Amino acid sequence: MNFRTTMIGTSIFIFSFYLGLILSLFYFVGGKGFWEALINPFTLYSIRLSLITATIATLFAILIGLPSAYALSRYEFVGKRVIDTFLEIPMIVSPIALGASFLIFFNTPLGELIQEKGILFVFEVPGIVLAQFATIAGLATRLMKASLDEISPRYEAVARSLGSSSWQAFYRITLPLAFKGLLASVILSWAKAIGEFGATVTLAGAMPGKTETMPIAIFTALASANIEKAIILILTLVFLGLATLYGIRLTGKVYKYD
Amino acid sequence: MIKIERLTILLKSFGLFNLDIEIEEGEFHFLLGPTGSGKTLILESIIGLHKPREGRIWINGKEVQNLYPEKREISYVPQDLALFPHLNVLENIIYGIRIKNLPLRDYEAYIQALIRVTKIEHLLKRYPVNLSGGEKKRVALLRALAPKPKLLLLDEPLTGLDPSIKVEIQQLMKTLHQSFHPTILYVTHDFEDAYLLGDRISIFIDGKIEQVGKRDEIFLRPKSKKVAQFLGLKNLFRSKILMLDHTSQRWILKTNGLNFSVPMIGTLSQMEVGKEVDLFIRPEEVMIIREGKPIKESLKRNIFEGEIIDILDRGGYHSVSFQTREGKIPFEISIPNYAFRNLNLSIGKTIKIALRDESLWVIG
Repeated sequence: MNFRTTMIGTSIFIFSFYLGLILSLFYFVGGKGFWEALINPFTLYSIRLSLITATIATLFAILIGLPSAYALSRYEFVGKRVIDTFLEIPMIVSPIALGASFLIFFNTPLGELIQEKGILFVFEVPGIVLAQFATIAGLATRLMKASLDEISPRYEAVARSLGSSSWQAFYRITLPLAFKGLLASVILSWAKAIGEFGATVTLAGAMPGKTETMPIAIFTALASANIEKAIILILTLVFLGLATLYGIRLTGKVYKYD
Repeated sequence: MIKIERLTILLKSFGLFNLDIEIEEGEFHFLLGPTGSGKTLILESIIGLHKPREGRIWINGKEVQNLYPEKREISYVPQDLALFPHLNVLENIIYGIRIKNLPLRDYEAYIQALIRVTKIEHLLKRYPVNLSGGEKKRVALLRALAPKPKLLLLDEPLTGLDPSIKVEIQQLMKTLHQSFHPTILYVTHDFEDAYLLGDRISIFIDGKIEQVGKRDEIFLRPKSKKVAQFLGLKNLFRSKILMLDHTSQRWILKTNGLNFSVPMIGTLSQMEVGKEVDLFIRPEEVMIIREGKPIKESLKRNIFEGEIIDILDRGGYHSVSFQTREGKIPFEISIPNYAFRNLNLSIGKTIKIALRDESLWVIG
């Protein structure tokens, strides 16, 4: 087998591997109890809950991640490397450990104060948002930093010399130029938030109709041998994932300057 | 007037100390220095992108070194131009006016005049990605000039252009300067740009301004050997001052057994017998004597016979390598093509050269 054939063959194998996995789900589609599972209020609730919490978590990740990404991309400051390394923590630490850390934190005096005087997180919907945010904030910052790195700081320098303040140079020049990359970062982070399981189940629990997001619902459906519900939810996640990837491709077509 | 006083910039691995530059209003000033000498850093400090450790920058009597870049009224054309790719040509041009909320109407006639001079009327709706290298340079120049800055900084704007386009942009810059009189600080390592366009030139070597002057002062009268060497000047001869001829009021300099006669007027004040100096003659200033033609009296003091070693056709002119018979001193002589054809020169031919008093320059 020559080099080219081996390489292409391997890529076809990985494609078939995932496609086979997805196609195997359809073996049970339309079976007994399938459609009932689809319109089950708990199923619809978990879909809705996932979409809402992931969107809120992503908005928070942008709010915190974008300025951080800009600082890491443009400035030199003490502790920059430490911050950059810490962004990887959610990627290397198991999500369950992350969730467990939150549980422990909310048992400290500060955590208890937040729970009592502020927002209830443990076994509540805000806990889902917090768990998803913790999982994606580092990733979102990293991805957005990579997008900003691609835009030469020279554009801002020229914009400043022409009379823009640093804020104006950012939103009139850098932001539109990096928009494609930033949007892709946001979409990917959102998809990761939708699929978050470990930290969410540990911090917010798995209460149907309350804190049961899609991935948690899949786990509980399988635990109670409700294959139809599990498949409905898996297919929904797959559909959202594919739509996400398509969305990223689309951004590449719309924002094309060079 | 732009005045940069004792500017000191310190970065992790680089430093510039006590830099002084003065630029008159409406002047086309060149900062000419070797690549990697920190010229761009100076520009970025003037704009306000780097905070200098010390020093002051005055623009028309106003101290600006503590102001934000947007408050300094200094436009900047970087080497890579940095045209905003998401804005079309017109939007790029009026960016500086729009962002400062200046009344566009007040600038309309001026911008239209700029557009006419730069001949980019047909490009206004295009995006930078669809422009050629030369067109991009035009737009970048125009964008920088549009808000009528107090100072325009150009960072090697002619780098990477085809020779024909380069000539075109050089001509355009000359026209723009003659028509609109902006104060320009142009940073480059290219002598040709400086020679063609510069009103005054600052030679910047090893973190210091070595010489400031008009182009002829710089190219014909380099102050130091360092400047002469940086400018790649040929015909630089280490010589010893042999004597002062009081009758003719001339110094006699000796190089490899060959004597040069240099007038006292115009030479260094600290000339003294026995001192070692460098004698410099520009290749264009070396005259080849035609056989049978009478020689002017003023030329008779420095006539040398020798042989042509090599001839190079450099396109617009010829370079003749000549070696004196006595002392074996190598001269490079530049001759325009028409003169070259009339002189009937060939390798190995014995000729005589003469040096005008005005073309002899002694560097201490």
